[in-house]
Amino acid sequence: MSRDDERISNILAPARENPSYLNLWSAYKKIEALGIKVSKNDTNAVRIAVIGSATLEPLAACLDIKTRIVGFNVKTFVGGFNTYRQEILDKNSNLYKLSPDVIVLSIDAWSILDKLFIASFIRMNEKERKNIQKEVIAGICSLVDTLESSTSALILVNNFIIPSFTPFGIVDNKQKLGFLQFFGELNSSLAQRFQEKSRSFVVDLDSIASDFGKSRVINWNTWYRGSVPFSEQFTPILVDEYLRYILALRGKTKKCIVLDLDNTLWGGIIGEDGLEGIKLGNTAPGIEYVEFQKTLLSLYNRGIILAICSKNNYDDVVKVFREHPFQILKEEHFAALRINWQNKVVNLEELAAEINIGLDSMVFLDDNPVERAQVSQVHPEVLVVDMPKNPRLYRDMLENLKVFDVLSLTKEDLTRGEMYAGKRKRSELEKSATSIEDFLRTLELKVTANEVNDFDAPRVVQLIGKTNQFNLTTKRYTDAEVNNFRQSKEAAVYSMAVKDRFGDEGIVGVAIVRKQTSDWLIDSFLMSCRVIGRSAETAMLAKIVADARKSKAQRVLGEYIPTNKNPPAADFYKRHGFVMHTPSDDNVITWILNLADQTVEVPEWIELIEE
Amino acid sequence: MRLTEIEDRLLDILSKVLLLEKHEISDELKRKDFEPWDSMAHFIIVSELENEFEIFFEDEEVVDIWSVGDLKALLRKKLSP
Repeated sequence: MSRDDERISNILAPARENPSYLNLWSAYKKIEALGIKVSKNDTNAVRIAVIGSATLEPLAACLDIKTRIVGFNVKTFVGGFNTYRQEILDKNSNLYKLSPDVIVLSIDAWSILDKLFIASFIRMNEKERKNIQKEVIAGICSLVDTLESSTSALILVNNFIIPSFTPFGIVDNKQKLGFLQFFGELNSSLAQRFQEKSRSFVVDLDSIASDFGKSRVINWNTWYRGSVPFSEQFTPILVDEYLRYILALRGKTKKCIVLDLDNTLWGGIIGEDGLEGIKLGNTAPGIEYVEFQKTLLSLYNRGIILAICSKNNYDDVVKVFREHPFQILKEEHFAALRINWQNKVVNLEELAAEINIGLDSMVFLDDNPVERAQVSQVHPEVLVVDMPKNPRLYRDMLENLKVFDVLSLTKEDLTRGEMYAGKRKRSELEKSATSIEDFLRTLELKVTANEVNDFDAPRVVQLIGKTNQFNLTTKRYTDAEVNNFRQSKEAAVYSMAVKDRFGDEGIVGVAIVRKQTSDWLIDSFLMSCRVIGRSAETAMLAKIVADARKSKAQRVLGEYIPTNKNPPAADFYKRHGFVMHTPSDDNVITWILNLADQTVEVPEWIELIEE
Repeated sequence: MRLTEIEDRLLDILSKVLLLEKHEISDELKRKDFEPWDSMAHFIIVSELENEFEIFFEDEEVVDIWSVGDLKALLRKKLSP
């Protein structure tokens, strides 16, 4: 640790211990006084700009220090009071000189509305109210557009706190566009306008404020005295919300929950209380565990990996998964299981290796404080959650963790759980099978090989672009080139989809064939490494060979162009009875299959589907 | 509340905002002589005292605080029964 790092670390200690407003502010001023520069090339640096319509030094200070506490170097710019428009529109402003990674834009609705807005609102008609809404939204969106085009920063925009007071009283929602609805609609149109933006986010200040208690969000003394928009208690809470975006931006979020079983997933001890004795049900006792499991399942469906680490007998546990009527999570939801009497530290290390993620991506949930202490002592990088003693608070604890964020959800996120569980079951089966054929036979493999349709064409282009290992010629073709092959009578583009009893892998293989009268030349043949070892490639080759035979070709030719990455495909044609053409040069090796006396069969453990 | 306790809590806040050790803070420490005691620091000190002792300061009182001695006197006045 350098001397500067050590000084900063000492300054941060009290704020780390107790992140109160006063301690955060004090640390901010102390570090500011050190005058340490953040280097341009520091990849661990986060440059933060906080701009908006009020006095934002306290918010910026708390964000600066809390970002340091989670491990980043920070440089912060705080905009002037209500000067955010100038800062955004002037390309030479200090905002842009910072080259921010993150920009927080905090605009108070009242600062853009007419001074007498609350009084005149009552007398306005619906159209006038709607026009004001449009102006407010357009104003903010145009500023955000400028920020997007002039920086590469993540842009966080607070939405508006829906007021608690309305001059209409209890009939507010009987109006055409009531006072509270006016603000509610502002927030929904803001969210809608931001939906397609990938770098700009609406921070839901209104719901964070509701959760905290709107009456405590503002300290009226500091608001009227100095235009500070958020109270001393609320400021650090709001900062935590910004921090979620920063952690997601830098990939420092959690991906996997490792779960204990007894008194964590259900009440009681399965080894002692038995299947009928544990607490798990749709009414008390045990409903709190069912509800906890439902939240876990929702995270699993979102892409969070689940794993088990429990001191138990495997057979007792499996009985709960298979036979208990109220058990929500089943074996299929877990990417890996460690149900044994081994030390949990070792189990956790093994789980990380098996799932192939870092220990720093793991959250450990265990009701036993001794197990928790052991794990966090050896692996402080694991998030070991201080579980509430009361199991009725488990669900609430999980919902408030807020450590699983991503900046965008992909299709892969939504099916990740199934993919991991499929991988686990395949490798379990492989271990228990006596031969590889035996194993493959039990997989119930189904391979669909066809000329590609419009729907799957984009995926085919994607595979051509990114497949390196099992790729015979590594020829990269664009969307347009693939399309030309598909239109041409002298060519065909095949796609291959693979599925087995553990899951659907989707399109994972591609072949491009050039047809000449007597010879079919396989120009490209490639397959995702996800499915290597299941002989799916043989099925697609058999399909091509059969099609060649049908169109009266005499030979099928294949090429292999060696690269650093494609040795796994080197013996592909040889394995299938092709003979090397001589002379072949070192850069392109040509293989020939004579259809008169040879063929390629679909393996007996694969069902080939042609549509 | 005992006077020493009030002073202790005051010194705790002052040392954190003015970046001084508690023993470095005397009644004679003045705003205009001490650079870190700028308007933002003053603002934070006042609001922290309001929160800590559940009191509030009038605007005139805030501008009339010139030294640590002034602060102590004002607090004593506000907190006396």
